[in-house]
Amino acid sequence: MTGGTKPAVELRALTKDFVVGLKDLRLRAVDQLSLRVECGEVFGLLGPNGSGKSTTIKLVLGLLRPSAGESEIFGVSSSRVEARAQVGYLPESPNFQRFLSGRELVAFYGRICGLAGARLKSRVEQVLGWAGLTEAADRRVGTYSKGMLQRVGLAQALVHDPQLVILDEPTAGVDPLGAAAMADLIRQLKAQGKTVVITSHLLAQVEDVCDRVAILDRGRLLLCAEVASLGNRAVASSPESLDENDRAELARWLSARGKSPGAVVAAQSRLDRIFIDEVRKNRSDSGSGPA
Amino acid sequence: MTTVPFSLTRVGLIAAVTLREAVRQKLVAGLALIACGFVLGVRALRDFNFGTPELKFIADFGDGVIAGFGAVLTIVLLAQLFFGELESRTALTLLAKPVWRSEFLLGKFCGVVAVVVVFCVLLTATLSVVLWQRESALRVEGFAAVPAGVGFDPGALWVAAWMHIVRLTVLAAGMMLVACIAQTQLYAIIVGFSGFVGCHLQHVAQGVYSRAGSSAMAWIATLIGWMFPDFHLFTLEAGGAWTFEGVARLTVYGAGYAALALGLAVWVFRHREI
Repeated sequence: MTGGTKPAVELRALTKDFVVGLKDLRLRAVDQLSLRVECGEVFGLLGPNGSGKSTTIKLVLGLLRPSAGESEIFGVSSSRVEARAQVGYLPESPNFQRFLSGRELVAFYGRICGLAGARLKSRVEQVLGWAGLTEAADRRVGTYSKGMLQRVGLAQALVHDPQLVILDEPTAGVDPLGAAAMADLIRQLKAQGKTVVITSHLLAQVEDVCDRVAILDRGRLLLCAEVASLGNRAVASSPESLDENDRAELARWLSARGKSPGAVVAAQSRLDRIFIDEVRKNRSDSGSGPA
Repeated sequence: MTTVPFSLTRVGLIAAVTLREAVRQKLVAGLALIACGFVLGVRALRDFNFGTPELKFIADFGDGVIAGFGAVLTIVLLAQLFFGELESRTALTLLAKPVWRSEFLLGKFCGVVAVVVVFCVLLTATLSVVLWQRESALRVEGFAAVPAGVGFDPGALWVAAWMHIVRLTVLAAGMMLVACIAQTQLYAIIVGFSGFVGCHLQHVAQGVYSRAGSSAMAWIATLIGWMFPDFHLFTLEAGGAWTFEGVARLTVYGAGYAALALGLAVWVFRHREI
């Protein structure tokens, strides 16, 4: 299924229009999007709210039908059930059957994916352990906190050992510890050879774990590049990036003006800067004013 | 490419979760309790028997309770479970797995039908106890209301229960089709109730059109007869002297309509955006 040179995800001129109102008005959520996510990479799909990230994910998963263009997972059209056999998906703000315990929920999704017997049991325990839910596994999902819901969502996404893991805003509403744990888990998945696609607008977190990122705005692809190559495009550096002498001089300069050294805060991450620049540029090009 | 064939196991898993969800709903418990209360308290209403023998009144009243509350349960429960799954986005997670949309729909449908079966069996059992108890009391009192061979017939009662199950299964399938087309739960419930009433009254419409004498009216009557199941037939079979042939014919009739409605529902749902 994952062998050969087939990319994990391939989008070709993917377009999605939603009909709004009664006069057949159309809102273009995804506009001629072409992308390739190679096997084994961690790919970040970034964009401001309403940029078409979640719609793109739903198109990839076959939950929405494209208005035009094609989407494939490991070479299989997204419209086919077979395309989802090797996919684990964590939706944004996940919600599950509240009356099931965490263990029952993960086991249910495991059975749905064809696991049974000892293999099911061991995978359920394994993924609950990874998600840090072993102790809470017998509690009803309805009693879980938001962070725990996110983790049980991750456990159900991984239970059948998928080759492609799609995480839609995995750190939304999660505390910094939870976000760091999520980043560690993504690195573990990469180490296991899995392909991971993350959507987010929390760029600093994505920057740390992604190999490549794509920036979307209003459904259009603005940029797709390796994170490592984005260093050349950095437009700002933080005080921490200065050498010791420069930092001391900066501190003296601030002190002479009655300012504390903390008056100069770290610049936004390079990805933040690039993201904002690209989105502003796109919006000024399309004549809709500042972002 | 690994093929993913249609799986009855997945349908069963989804149905089992649907059933567990359904039995936790206040609506189900509330309707079952009220219906049971009506059946158990039917003796308090015997003054309204309009001259029919007491046992027949109890049986007819209980039958009406099962039919009425069963229809409310089927329509509202199916709409709640279907739209609840879409609105809470649990369907999103499920359909992102290698699950056919037909498996999802059939699982939901089977879960609701399981609730309907439990409801009908529970109320019929309750009604049986009430009838048996009252018949025993009347016999002890030596009432002429229970002449030999005219008393409570458990077989007929369970045939009536089966007819209710078949009718409510057809209703659930029709409701599934409506839910797949509808965008809101309220709309689905209103259309579902309208359809239920329409299916009960279609024999009246057919009678009126066929008596009209015009070929166009007769054609309309035929069309209505083909499009909508005649729920009145189930009532006739349950209320009259039943035969195995009649019950089997109506079961096949109901199964045909249910299969057709579910087939259409699957077709509509395959094109629905989640």
